[in-house]
Amino acid sequence: MTSRSRLSRMLLLGLVLLAPAGFAQVPGADQVRTATLANGMQIIVWPDHDIPNVALYNWVHVGSRNEAPGITGLAHFFEHMMFNGTSKRAPGEFDQVLEANGARNNAFTSDDVTVYQDWFPRSALETVFELEADRLQNLAFDPKVVESERDVVHSERRLRVDDSHQGRLQERVQATAFLAHPYGIPTIGWPSDILSWTIDDLKKFFSTYYAPNNCTLVLVGDVEPDSAIALARKYFEPIPAQEPPRPVKTVEPEQLGERRVAINAEAQTPLIQFAYHGLAGTDPRRPALDLLTRVLTDGDASRLHRALVEEQKLAISADSYFSAGFDPGLVWFFLSLPANGDASQAEAEFTRQIERVIKEGVTADELARARSQALADFWRGLATIDGKANAIGTFAVLQGGYQKLFDEPRAYEAVTQQDIQKVAAEFLRSSNRTVGVLKSPPPAEDVQTKTGGAQ
Amino acid sequence: MNPLRRFVVIAATVCSLSAPVVFAASTVKTPNFEKVKLANGATLLLMERHDVPLIAFTAVVRGGALTDPAERLGTASLLAGLLEKGAGNRDANTFAETVASVGGQIQTGTSTESISVAGSFLARDQKLMVELLADVLQRPRLEEKQFETLRDRSIEFIRAAKDSDRSTLTPIYGAASLFGAHPYGRSVGGSEASLAAIKHADVRQYYADNFGADRVIIAVAGDFKTAQLKSLLSRAFANWRKAGQPLPAVPKQTQVTARRVLLVDAPDAVQSYFWCGDVSVPRNDPRRAALDIVNTLFGGRFTSMLNTELRIRSGLSYGASSRFDRMAEGGSWELGSFTRTEKTIEAIDLAFATLDKLHAGAIDDAQLESAKSYVLGQYPLGLETASQWAYQLATLELYGLDRSYIDDYGNQLAAVTLADARHVIDEVIPSSRQVVLVVIGKADAIREGLRKYGPLTEVKLSDPEFRAQP
Repeated sequence: MTSRSRLSRMLLLGLVLLAPAGFAQVPGADQVRTATLANGMQIIVWPDHDIPNVALYNWVHVGSRNEAPGITGLAHFFEHMMFNGTSKRAPGEFDQVLEANGARNNAFTSDDVTVYQDWFPRSALETVFELEADRLQNLAFDPKVVESERDVVHSERRLRVDDSHQGRLQERVQATAFLAHPYGIPTIGWPSDILSWTIDDLKKFFSTYYAPNNCTLVLVGDVEPDSAIALARKYFEPIPAQEPPRPVKTVEPEQLGERRVAINAEAQTPLIQFAYHGLAGTDPRRPALDLLTRVLTDGDASRLHRALVEEQKLAISADSYFSAGFDPGLVWFFLSLPANGDASQAEAEFTRQIERVIKEGVTADELARARSQALADFWRGLATIDGKANAIGTFAVLQGGYQKLFDEPRAYEAVTQQDIQKVAAEFLRSSNRTVGVLKSPPPAEDVQTKTGGAQ
Repeated sequence: MNPLRRFVVIAATVCSLSAPVVFAASTVKTPNFEKVKLANGATLLLMERHDVPLIAFTAVVRGGALTDPAERLGTASLLAGLLEKGAGNRDANTFAETVASVGGQIQTGTSTESISVAGSFLARDQKLMVELLADVLQRPRLEEKQFETLRDRSIEFIRAAKDSDRSTLTPIYGAASLFGAHPYGRSVGGSEASLAAIKHADVRQYYADNFGADRVIIAVAGDFKTAQLKSLLSRAFANWRKAGQPLPAVPKQTQVTARRVLLVDAPDAVQSYFWCGDVSVPRNDPRRAALDIVNTLFGGRFTSMLNTELRIRSGLSYGASSRFDRMAEGGSWELGSFTRTEKTIEAIDLAFATLDKLHAGAIDDAQLESAKSYVLGQYPLGLETASQWAYQLATLELYGLDRSYIDDYGNQLAAVTLADARHVIDEVIPSSRQVVLVVIGKADAIREGLRKYGPLTEVKLSDPEFRAQP
C-alpha cells in the first residue's frame, strides 16, 4: 500500500509536466473509493498515508444561490449555526470535543455550496464521524445562541464588506450583474436580512437543505477506505433522506449592454472591477477560460500586469478570478489604481487589451507558459491532503464528477490557441460586462466653488 | 518523559467521548539531511524526499529589516522585491518568462531578521533552478527603473491596505508602539514616508553591506541526489564574497511597565480593530512547549478563552486570538480582535478581564490535556510537503536550533504539568495592566472611552508613518 501511494504521489506532482504529450491518467484514481448510502449521501475516500492525519470535507449542496429576498445570508448563517449545539450536545461541545482529540475545524460558504472541514489525527476518525452525523441530524436552535451568532455574522460583514473597499465594490457589481439569477445575492447577506431572519426561516432551511441526500462527504489521508465507508454507514445511514430541494430554474437572460456601478468613498486608492458573464463548472470550455485569464493576469509575464502595472503604471495590481459553479458565474478582473490614478484611462487601456486578445488571440508561447503554470499549480494543489480534499470535492460536486479531476492535465493539454480566442470573443464582450468604479468624491474645494458661485 | 503521563492523557481525552480513541504520540521525525558549510561561510542543507519529482528550496539571508538604515525603513523589503526583477543575463521580462515556462515558482520575502527566496521546480529543472537562485542572490541587476517602479508601487500598496481589512494593520502599529526605537518595532515593509525617502543607491548599498556567503542559508528538500546537488550548489556559491558589514547586535528590549494607548483615527470605520501586546521570549526559550499550550488555551484555537468570551458567549466579534512572535533575541506576545464602534470599550474590557482570569488560575488539568492533544494532532500538517521541510530546515539553522526542536517537541508537550503552565503564565504572559493597546477606529466616537486605559497618543490612519511623530 505504501509503495502504491508513493507512486501515485510521484505522478500527481509532475510527471505530466515531464511528458507534455499529456497521456498521464493520474494513478491515484485507482485508489479512490466511492459509495452511495441508502439515504442518498455520497461518500468519496482517497487514501494517502504520508502523514498520520486526515482531511474531511462535507460538501452541503446549498449556497446563497438558494436564497431569496428576506433570507439572504441564511446559507452562510447556517455555516455558523452548525457549530452551536444539537439536541444531544450543548453549544460549544462540538469544538471542545474535536479539539481535545487533536482536531481543528472550519467551514466556508459560497454562491453554490457550504463546506464543513475537519483536519485531525487518524485516531480521531470515529469521533469526527459521530460529531458530524450528530449535527446533520440533530441541530438545535437556541434563540439566545441565534441572537448572539447574528451579531458575530454582522461583525464578519463589517470586516469583509463595510470596512473594505474591494468588498463593498464587489458586492454592488455582483448585484448589478444579475437581473434574475440569485447569484446576484451577496453570500454574507444584506444587513437588513441579517437582522431579521427568524427561527422558523432557519428550521425550514435546515430541513430542506441539510439532508444526507444533499451532501457529498470527502475523506483524504491516513484512512482505509473500507473502514471509512463502514463508519459512514454506521453514523450517517440512519439519517433519513428528505424531499430533494426545489431546483434553481432561473436562467439569467442574456446581457444586452454594459452596466455600470459607481461608489463614492474616501479612498486612498481608487478601484475598478469588471465582471463578465461566464460559464458553469461542467462547461468543457473551463480549461480554455482558465488559460485565457492566466495569459492576462497570472504573474509578472502576463499581459495586463505588464501593460497596466509595469509599463504604463496605470494600476498597482491587476488580478482575475472566475467562478465555475452549478450555473454560469462571473469572470472577474480587479484593478487597484495608484492614489489619484485616472480611472477612465486605466479602464480604456484594460478594454484595449481585452479587444486585442479577442481580435488577435494569444501567442503559442503565451499558451505554453499559461499551460505550464496551470499544470504546476494543479499539482502543487494536490501536494497536501487538504488540497486533495478540496480538489476532488470541487470536481465531484461542481465540475462534473470526481473522475474529471484526473483528466484535468489532459484537458489543459488539449486547449488550442483558437479555443482561447473563441472563449475571449464569447465572454469578454463589453456588452456582457458590468463595470464598477470606487473612488473619492470630487474634492471639497470644487464643491465650495460651486456653492460660492450660486451665492 | 514519564510514560504514565500518556495514560493520563488517554483517560482525560476519552472521558468526554462515547467512542474510545488512541492517543497519537508525536509521529513526525525529521528525515535525514546533510549540512555542508562552504569555505566562504555559505550553509547548505539538503534533504532527499523522493516521493514526488519536485524540488523545493528556501534560501535565507540574515539581516532583513534589522539592517535597514534607521531613516530608510523598507530598504530590505525593496531589495527583496528587486531580486527577481532581472538577474544574471536575464532582464525582468525574460526572468519572469523563464520561470513561468517551466512551471517554476520563485518568491522573495522580508521579515524582521532575514530576507528569503523560496520556490519550487520540477526535478528535471534542477540545473536551471540552481542557476536562477544563484543569479538572484549573487547577480541581481537592481536596475534603477525597476527600483523606482517598485518603490512607487510599494507606497501605493500601503495606501490600498489602509482601505482594506484593518485587522492586518494593527500588528504594524502595535510593534512600532511596543518596541519604540528598538529594531523589532520596525515596519518591515516601511511606511509611505520612509519608502519615499529611499534612493536607488540605498538599495545597492544595502545589497553590498548585507548580502554575501557568510549570511546565507540554502535549504533544499525534494527529489534529487545529495551528491549531485551538493556539487552543483557548491560550485554555484563557492566564489561568492562575504557581506560588506557584520550583522549588528540587537539591543535589549524593554518591558512595558505601565499601560499606554495608541489611537489610530479611521473616520469612516464602522468597527474598531484593537491589539495589545508586550515584549516576550525569543525563539530558543526552553519553556516553548508550556508556552504553546498556554497560548493555545488562551487565544490560539477556536475554543480558546479569548474567542469563547468575545465571539461565542457575547457575539461581540467575528474572532479574537493571541500569538507569540518569537525572534532571535526576544519578540512579542500579542492579542487582537475587533467589534462594532459602539461596543469598543465593552470588548476591550472583556479582553482584559479574560487575561486577568488566565492569571487568576483559569487553566485546569482537563484543559491542559486537551491543548496537548490539539497541538500534537495539528503538528504533522505543517511537516507534509518538500516546501514545508525546506522552510523548517532553513528556520532551524537561522535560529541556531537542531532537529531535536522538531523531534522532541511531542515529548516536551507531553511532559508539561499544570504547575509548568502556571509558572509560564506568571513569568511570561503580561497582566492586563502591562500592555500597549492599539486601536484603529472612529476616534471621535471612542477617544474619551479609551482614556481610562492609560496615557493616549493619537495619529491618523492616513498619516504616512505607522508611529506617532515626536
